[in-house]
Amino acid sequence: MSEMWINMGPQHPMTHGLWNLRVKIEGELILDVDPEMGYLHRGIEKISEDRHYNEVITLMDRTCYVAGLAWEHLYILAAEDALHITPPERAEYLRTMCDEFQRVGSHIMWYAAFVQDLGLMSPFLYGMRDRDLVLDLFQSYTGARMTYEYMRVGGVRSDLPLGFTDRARRVLDWLTARFVEYDQLCLGSAIFRKRCDGLGVLKATDCVEHGVTGPMLRSAGMKRDLRRDRPYAVYDQLDFDVAVADGADVTARYLVRMEELRQSVRMLRQILDWLDRHPGPAMAEELPRWLGAPYAPVGKEGYLLKRNYPKGVGFSSVEEPHGEAQAYVVNEGTEHPYRVKFRSPVFANISAARQYLVGYHVADIPPIMGSVDVCVGEVDR
Amino acid sequence: MQPADLEAALRPSVGAHLLGTEPFEGTAGRVRFAREGALDVFRAVKDRLGFRHLSMVGGIDWVDHREVFYVVWSDDARQYALLSTDLPAADPHVETASSVWPSANWHERETWELVDIQFDHHPDLRHLLMPDGYAFHPLLRSFKIHEPEDLEVKSRHV
Repeated sequence: MSEMWINMGPQHPMTHGLWNLRVKIEGELILDVDPEMGYLHRGIEKISEDRHYNEVITLMDRTCYVAGLAWEHLYILAAEDALHITPPERAEYLRTMCDEFQRVGSHIMWYAAFVQDLGLMSPFLYGMRDRDLVLDLFQSYTGARMTYEYMRVGGVRSDLPLGFTDRARRVLDWLTARFVEYDQLCLGSAIFRKRCDGLGVLKATDCVEHGVTGPMLRSAGMKRDLRRDRPYAVYDQLDFDVAVADGADVTARYLVRMEELRQSVRMLRQILDWLDRHPGPAMAEELPRWLGAPYAPVGKEGYLLKRNYPKGVGFSSVEEPHGEAQAYVVNEGTEHPYRVKFRSPVFANISAARQYLVGYHVADIPPIMGSVDVCVGEVDR
Repeated sequence: MQPADLEAALRPSVGAHLLGTEPFEGTAGRVRFAREGALDVFRAVKDRLGFRHLSMVGGIDWVDHREVFYVVWSDDARQYALLSTDLPAADPHVETASSVWPSANWHERETWELVDIQFDHHPDLRHLLMPDGYAFHPLLRSFKIHEPEDLEVKSRHV
């Protein structure tokens, strides 16, 4: 049979976003793949060069629609590093809480979309129902369900509303019981196992060679998690285990994400207890005036202050729900960053597509790419 | 790992192309090298120092010259390290890192199309985020997204 190239995308249910997977096939067998990105490129790195430090946060929410708060945290850490600002401890706890709730929301969203790719419609609805509870929590303290703009250089915008921690604990109780059902629905289903077991295998050595991180790397048995290996915010004060599996296939990635959900709930309970016991400021008190508010008036005085912007380079790295994200912020002594560079974990995970797709069949592509957890917004930026 | 450790491990195999190491907060340090020694630096950093994971490659346009930086991670030391080299703006090219770390492939494609840095012997230097045939390099400082008068208004926050 002759070989040919076919396009899966840019509009294909498998893509979960706007990108194109070009596949070279012979019959049903995949011989080669070539992902084409860029359909969602908005030039976030370029736009950031014309924005005030706090204005870049708006763009971070648009970077990844399921993990906006994690990207805000990433940028804030780099900007604070470049500007030499330390936030109060309560702000660090609030940010960590944001990260973990975001991970719960992102992984449940992944679960819903992934099982729908496999043709299981009911778990999709259960997933969307449960993620909504997390979005309700976000709404109650940030005012938004998707584009939060909650973190600020020097702290967070506002503290929690009254009764938030109790409401959050009730949501965690509900979710903990649902996670058991998720597993029963999927791992107990022969169809699920047949479509996932042994597919898309990527061994740990190949993961490292090709820059693959996050749940994909941990599903290959490698225990690397920046929350443990290079703790930021308050992760060094929390008690949790790094989720690993050893199958390196689609099922293993499912197992890792489900375990991460349980670990996130465990961390969130510790964080909520801490927040109950330690009231305090959520914003640094000694902030330069130009950072005190997102639109601080920059008039005659502002130009005087402008000379005092410190020069420097900020680097940060966080364990985002999809893997390791990095930010590199160069500050040249003006009110705008000189250069902002982001590393998206999904960018690297997709770039290795040839390694985990070649040799499988066309019908295996939706489960395999589903297990990668693609978010195109952060790939194209 | 400290900058001095990086220097001690790299000096024998890289020699004069190693321009120096300096502390960089939160990492093992930053290594500055001349582009002629790029491949030696990559191999030594990966094989001698154990930085097997290349996280990111990026470029900066400093107008009078350009800079390429690499972020690498070691699982043994649980640390990042930064490598960087300066290139003349008139002839910005450097050896590809993708023969040492395959993960550099896409990062270098992106750096080439956005910051106009040529990577020698790159296996597949095509457009990635921009459409094929796109003739500009948007992350160069000379590429303006606003008219100059717009910028004036914006920086006053009127």
